[in-house]
Amino acid sequence: MDTWKEFEANELTHSAAHHLLAIYEVGLAYGGWARVSDIARQLNITRGSVSINLRALKKRAWVETDDHHLVKLTPKGLKAARPVMAKRVILTAFLSDVLGVSDSQAEIDSCKIEHLISHSTGQRLAQFLRFLTSGDAVARDLVGRFRRFHGDCPKSRTCDMCKGHCLMDELKRAI
Amino acid sequence: MRGDRTDVVEDLNRLMAEEAEACLRYFQMRFRLRGKGRVAAEKFFEGALKETLEHADAIAKQIRLLGHIPTLNIHLSLSGGPMRPEEALAEALEVEQQALDAYQEFLPRLTDHSALEDFIRKQIAVETEHVQEILDVVRAAAPLKLVPKPTP
Repeated sequence: MDTWKEFEANELTHSAAHHLLAIYEVGLAYGGWARVSDIARQLNITRGSVSINLRALKKRAWVETDDHHLVKLTPKGLKAARPVMAKRVILTAFLSDVLGVSDSQAEIDSCKIEHLISHSTGQRLAQFLRFLTSGDAVARDLVGRFRRFHGDCPKSRTCDMCKGHCLMDELKRAI
Repeated sequence: MRGDRTDVVEDLNRLMAEEAEACLRYFQMRFRLRGKGRVAAEKFFEGALKETLEHADAIAKQIRLLGHIPTLNIHLSLSGGPMRPEEALAEALEVEQQALDAYQEFLPRLTDHSALEDFIRKQIAVETEHVQEILDVVRAAAPLKLVPKPTP
């Protein structure tokens, strides 16, 4: 199983994804152009770090800069950033609206996952969300039942999901 | 002082983080240098790391003069790959230019606080000189001058 290595092999690193999104978000009010200082504030890192990290993004032709040190996503950068933004929205909605995770935690967790899941998984998740919010009687019932579900683990600490090792206990211990 | 004092302190904390982070970058960069000009570049970065630490210290003292305790917020992870001196200098130039820009953007907010304004003006002068020196070396691929920098 070499799947874990894909985390490192991801073309869009965690840092790169966040820089692209920050440039996009900061630049929204200024025709796409963002100042390094504003990107640094958005990411809560130093301007020096932003500037160094931008070198890698420039090499990949994801961002361009002008004579005033302003930064903008290139069409290629925008193409890389858009699916990440979409997955962030989908994941946040799933975690908060379906699982009932708090809004702030949903934001944090989706931020960590957004660029790591495949586009196809993101699409399926979006489809699942569409189904759950479609107004379909079964979907409505499913969501309602899940929200009312407080099933405790069996005393044996085994069930079909855990297969002999209580996963809920593992997570409770970690919190 | 124009604007809220807390905002000024926040900006000073950011400036201090720029300097402290640059210091750590230069500290580690010395050990990554490979190839022609390595020895001179190592000495250059040794001087630069001392200077940036002095700058961070000077900013921290300004924060204390304003009645606050400095807070340092740095998120830094530096790879250990080898670096040619010219690559390292290009990176240092980015860092120094950003520090200079940060000082210059901060200055107009200090018109009613002469002591701090003087301090920032001196920092700008030193940073400008430093940027120019690195720029000259990078552009001309000239040998590094090892001129000690005055502290503000």
